[in-house]
Amino acid sequence: MMEYIQINKLLTTSIYKQIAASITQAIDRGDLKYNDKLPTEKEICQAFSISQTAVKMAYEKLINEEKIKRIKGKGTYVTNRDVYQGNLHNFYELELLEDKVTPKYNQKIVMFDKKTKDYGAYRELKIDKKEPTFQIIRVIRSGQNPVLLQKIFFPHKYFKNFEKQYQSFSNLFTFIEQTCNYKIAHLHSTFSAINASASEALLLRLEPDDALHYVRTKIVDKKGNIIAYIYNYFPGDFTEFEVIVHAI
Amino acid sequence: MPSNCLELITIDRRSRVPFDSQIKERIKGFILDQTLYYKTALPMPNELAKALNITEKKVVKAYQQLIEERFIKQELSGIYKVSYFELTNYFFDRNTAVYDAISTLGLTPSIRCVEKKVITLTKQEIEAIGFDASQSNKYFYINRLYLGDKQPIMLLENYLPLYIFKNIDQSFVGDEPLDAYIKAHYNLKAQISKRQIKAVNLDRTMAKLLNERPNAASIQSTNKVYDHLSRLIDYGRSHTISSYYFQTLVKKDDMVNAYPQFFNQSN
Repeated sequence: MMEYIQINKLLTTSIYKQIAASITQAIDRGDLKYNDKLPTEKEICQAFSISQTAVKMAYEKLINEEKIKRIKGKGTYVTNRDVYQGNLHNFYELELLEDKVTPKYNQKIVMFDKKTKDYGAYRELKIDKKEPTFQIIRVIRSGQNPVLLQKIFFPHKYFKNFEKQYQSFSNLFTFIEQTCNYKIAHLHSTFSAINASASEALLLRLEPDDALHYVRTKIVDKKGNIIAYIYNYFPGDFTEFEVIVHAI
Repeated sequence: MPSNCLELITIDRRSRVPFDSQIKERIKGFILDQTLYYKTALPMPNELAKALNITEKKVVKAYQQLIEERFIKQELSGIYKVSYFELTNYFFDRNTAVYDAISTLGLTPSIRCVEKKVITLTKQEIEAIGFDASQSNKYFYINRLYLGDKQPIMLLENYLPLYIFKNIDQSFVGDEPLDAYIKAHYNLKAQISKRQIKAVNLDRTMAKLLNERPNAASIQSTNKVYDHLSRLIDYGRSHTISSYYFQTLVKKDDMVNAYPQFFNQSN
């Protein structure tokens, strides 16, 4: 369970630096992920027959570098996590996951569904709640870390062939424009802050009640129809939007 | 649509948040996203309690809190109705003074000064913010609560350099609109404002001032305001009540310009 720690006592490099370096490398490689629990100081010193001071020093170095953190009574955890910084008006750039040259993000589709009980979505889509609506829930990630949780709603009346087409879904805009032949006119988004529910926290690797950016987006086509509706959830601690406002 | 409304209000039994807070937040959310409009009737407490399988007391408690926050009102008939009307995004993507924005919403604006003092920033702090480090390190700090119809909307802290706003600590009372004040006394005006937006949990002190529960989610905006000479004249940080929201419209053309690969597979 701690094979990512490597110590070579034949080297002149101090033991604590070796421990810190191997944990740092494991984090960089993705072997150790956000919220993973690290062995206790005692476990490491017993496994490698080294002094507890060396382990303590290694952990303190990593805590100072904000790569790990100690939670009282629970243990030591990996905490490093990229902060997504983007322009407020360009947050949809997270779709760059299809960019094959520099794949910044990857996605995990959590669920396809052919119906939804989300009345808020029905209301925003201006359709009756008896009308079937497809739903995709996905998590967009940077490496292993969730950057964005999305619930996307496609009303059946606009996506009649969804059940044949959904398997080619990966990039949202490509799917709407190329696969389903709609011409997007604009995205209308409402930004607010909410506390994470238990399931949102789980999918975003946060604690329940942590703050989230909650962005509800309507995708409007050239004919003025709201063809799709999205709930976007960004982890508050790991998301920063920038905007520049000019004087009128 | 009272019957629809009943289906909308749900609770998460695994959550650590008490049921009454959950109901309150849920209804508040629907009011804010306009699922429930001005004058929509809410289910009667006994009706909702039955549907959720909880005590009526909890529902009444949630409704009472919503009344206190002026989201709903109880009519003489006993029916609870939405009494809230929308907060627009005037605060956000225009360089409008918060004070003026509140009156644009049809609310009576007022400002309560929580704290004002002269402080000394360290060289690191000055450089990190981007103020002129060759000047005096004394800054005028104000922390003020902006209210609409006496209800808190935004808590705003400002750091104003005394090398630009000379003697402001002696003349600024604390409850006057800042933009108008610096225009009148220093003939300075915000030209560009750079903002950084985060979603954060409110700490106890801020929650109390904003009339929210501790840990409630809030939009935090860190602002750097520059004048016509591109001088940083004001560094501020605001926290808004959890019901605050703003909107953006992104046109397809702008998306194509920024990321043509989303729309042009033939390339």
